[in-house]
Amino acid sequence: MAEWEAVIGLETHIQLSTESKIFCRCRADSWGQPPNTNICPVCCGLPGVLPVLNRGVVEKAVRLAAAVHATIAETSYFARKNYFYPDLPKGYQISQYDEPLARGGYFDLPLPGGATRRLTIQKLHLEEDAGKTKLAGGQRYVDMNRCGVPLVEMVTGPDLRSADEAAQYLIRLRQLLRWLETSEANMERAQLRCDANVSIRPAGAIHLNPKTEIKNVNSIEAVRDAIAKEIQRQVREVESGGQVEAWTLEWDEDAGMLRKMRAKETEGDYRYFREPDLLPIRLDEAWRTRLLATMPELPLERRARFVREYQLPEYDAEILTEERSLSEYFEAAARAYSGEAKRVSNWMMNDVLRLVREHPQQAGQPQTAALAGLTPAHLAEILTLVDSATVTLATGKALLEKVIATGTPPRAIVEREGLAQISGAGALEDICRQAIAENPEQATQYRAGKTTLLQWFVGQVMKKSRGKANPQETAHILEKLLVG
Amino acid sequence: MQLCDLTAHEIVERLRRGETSAEAVLDSVLARIAQVEGRAPRTAPYPPSAEEQAEDRRHVHAYISLQAERARERARSIDQARARDEALGPLAGVPLAVKDIFCVEGTPSTAASRMLEHFVAPYSATSVTRLEAAGAVVLGKVNLDEFTYGSSNESSAFQPPVGNPWDPSRVPGGSSGGSAAAVAAGEAVLSIGTDTAGSIRQPAAFCGVVGLKPTYGRVSRYGLIAFASSIDCVGPLTRDVTDSALMLGAMAGADPQDGTAASVPVPDYQAELEAGVRGMRIGLSPDYFRIQYPDAKTGELREQEIDPQVKAAVLDAAQRLAGAGAEIVENVPMPNTRYGIPAYFVVARVEAASNLHRYDGVKYGHRTARPMADLRAMYRASRGEAFGVQPKLRILMGMYVSAAQYEKHYYQRALRVRTLIRGDFEAAFDPAGLHRLDALLAATTPTTAFELGALYGDSVLMQYADLLTVPADHAGVPALSIPAGLDRGGMPIGIQFMARDFDEARLFRLGRAYEMSTAAEAWRSARPKVLGGG
Repeated sequence: MAEWEAVIGLETHIQLSTESKIFCRCRADSWGQPPNTNICPVCCGLPGVLPVLNRGVVEKAVRLAAAVHATIAETSYFARKNYFYPDLPKGYQISQYDEPLARGGYFDLPLPGGATRRLTIQKLHLEEDAGKTKLAGGQRYVDMNRCGVPLVEMVTGPDLRSADEAAQYLIRLRQLLRWLETSEANMERAQLRCDANVSIRPAGAIHLNPKTEIKNVNSIEAVRDAIAKEIQRQVREVESGGQVEAWTLEWDEDAGMLRKMRAKETEGDYRYFREPDLLPIRLDEAWRTRLLATMPELPLERRARFVREYQLPEYDAEILTEERSLSEYFEAAARAYSGEAKRVSNWMMNDVLRLVREHPQQAGQPQTAALAGLTPAHLAEILTLVDSATVTLATGKALLEKVIATGTPPRAIVEREGLAQISGAGALEDICRQAIAENPEQATQYRAGKTTLLQWFVGQVMKKSRGKANPQETAHILEKLLVG
Repeated sequence: MQLCDLTAHEIVERLRRGETSAEAVLDSVLARIAQVEGRAPRTAPYPPSAEEQAEDRRHVHAYISLQAERARERARSIDQARARDEALGPLAGVPLAVKDIFCVEGTPSTAASRMLEHFVAPYSATSVTRLEAAGAVVLGKVNLDEFTYGSSNESSAFQPPVGNPWDPSRVPGGSSGGSAAAVAAGEAVLSIGTDTAGSIRQPAAFCGVVGLKPTYGRVSRYGLIAFASSIDCVGPLTRDVTDSALMLGAMAGADPQDGTAASVPVPDYQAELEAGVRGMRIGLSPDYFRIQYPDAKTGELREQEIDPQVKAAVLDAAQRLAGAGAEIVENVPMPNTRYGIPAYFVVARVEAASNLHRYDGVKYGHRTARPMADLRAMYRASRGEAFGVQPKLRILMGMYVSAAQYEKHYYQRALRVRTLIRGDFEAAFDPAGLHRLDALLAATTPTTAFELGALYGDSVLMQYADLLTVPADHAGVPALSIPAGLDRGGMPIGIQFMARDFDEARLFRLGRAYEMSTAAEAWRSARPKVLGGG
């Protein structure tokens, strides 16, 4: 294998998260709906109907194009891709062809070890999805719910060099799509689909060999597996004196293997021509400016800035920028907090993220939705309460969930529930005395030399004080009382 | 003169004055239909016996389906509204025949094809909805060439074919032949048609009625079963220019269901209808006094003068308009006119083949009754059984010229020719140019209506019947065909005006001026043969 290099390009289909379909008013997403319940004469291609372009589709696609540094066409056109299939109700797919929305961008893919691979983005174009067909009991069933779902097709150059890189690209692409609210990008729901073009060549060569195309892979793991298997197959083929033929392969998820598709299903002259039912997309300066003015900072830029501006370790910055709402949450909390940002980061990575993951999430919702009442300012306030020793660390952590549930400011909860830290000789000493009195056996053992029991006694005091006792002071008092 | 022979504006006027009712108008039209229509067209094999055929050639056969009950309900509700003193729409109570290429909710919408023989549309075309909102009463769906593919109505799957009311052994023209014949024979007062190469104007000329092809995008195409989407125009067929203006006013304008319907404001076409033509510059072009076509065997370009009687009618119209104060500009070159048909042949067929893809037997329309194990075999059998010869020819040619290896030679070149033809009009209408025309005046057709069967089967020659109408379709400019007398055989002659984009108001002024200048002519009171004339 060492003498071979894999050359991989990915063609992704991205379902845009608009309210309605690309050319009619049906809802764009019909995941889980019974077949043929989210359809209308337009998406079913009845005689005489006409498509009307959803501007929201263009807007989402333009922002994605800008994020991958592509050149956005001032004028782009729709075309008809003609072919017959039962789930293609018009007998042609409305797509873009010779004049797509955008061309010529790039995507910087961070690789393990700190390097970056710059992938070329050849083009982005808009198109409508087709429906689904299913064979069962010798019958062919058609579901048109997906007909007219808005898609962006984004094609990379042959720039990826391994199955792992391909998987990494999809992870980073998914991050970007969710970040920009372009797509929910859930591969299992076919909101992000991927075809892979795979070839091999001697390491260091610069020519391209015949490639195979892998279709129908619907998870990142499957993309990695399918590409890895195909690279192995091509190497075996070539090393045994054979040749790689330009096949189209289909990934069989259940069997975990690739199958050659019948030639009939793949060849064809689509007889493209300009779609006469739609006007060209003209992105005038005002529209473009308005769209790009609201572009958010992108994940990798934000990651770098977090390192620079908040002195976070790369690791923290990476985790905090995995998702946009989380990064915004961090930044808002760090700004509201007067101490070091790293402390906010620690709390977020240790506690806040655990809480986020414990809360079941609705598809398409930002992660911070799980934090409900806990605003970034509240988080900063909890940290301040802990820093000033107003509450113990344990109380501080317990406050997180209380604030999530109620939205009440942490300081108000502390006052109302009397959660302020107990310290000073009086109150704390009484609790310590009680703890010793209630556990004479352990006290005797301690005095007999088993001093490790001190921490156990601290625990008892914490329990009795419901976490409010200052742990250092408690240990100090207990030590004194147990000895005496 | 029956109620059904009145124009729309006369009917609305009488209705407003309470002199008649919508129901009485409807009854009059239905009586006329019973009188002249003949047996209803069917998809059964044709021709029948010689005797039956002879009988068929004495009748009009305009309607594929009549919705008399639906019409009566509408007429009654209009009469009730009038009884309550409610305001009446501009077309209140006027019987309307809809070319059966438009979807009308709840009615069979067949496109004159076996493919859609049993298709009942679940929605109405925007243009039809707007006419109904203006008060028009839809009577039924009228015949056409299958999917509008033809210029004689003979290719309809529904036979007997429509006969020309002026002589039912002749064609009514096409593809809006049922529309033109119905309006000419008093079987409807208005009809809505479509024009892709002349499909409104040519039958209007052959049947002696007024036909307007508006600017591309002036009227929504939503609900119109598509032929060549980049060219198809929806327009009125009427008895006079005033009705044409009324009807366009009711239909035109932007439509949220058609992105290609222009948002250009719709003027009040009635306001300046009789403002006259003084100072207008009207062009005549030698390229519209001859037809040029390739010889079927050698491919050499042949040239032929148009029928001298038709030419004389154009020159007479020019003289009358000059008399009314217009300036006639002769010898305006329109050099790319000759390429109109070949370019149309390519562009329209590529789009038509694609537009016919959806008829695959899967969702609606005809599906073969034979059991099929293979999907492709099912497609082939369904389409093979249900499409007539014209759709099949168009699919074959359309697929051929759009195939990857030929597309550059044919489709791309045809699109460039379209641009050249558009350039002819832009040069002629250029306010800073040599000719500075306000309108171009020409014959609508090279000849008057030909005999049934005379050209059918020669799809190349048939197409050249559209040579003078197709340039306006390519260019997208509006064109109005109006009756301009009868030939020696008593068949109507049509002339047309073409103008700048969205300048329909000027066409109406020209047409109205011509009508007024010929009001006293004997041919104005001639009646079609089926009504006892000729």
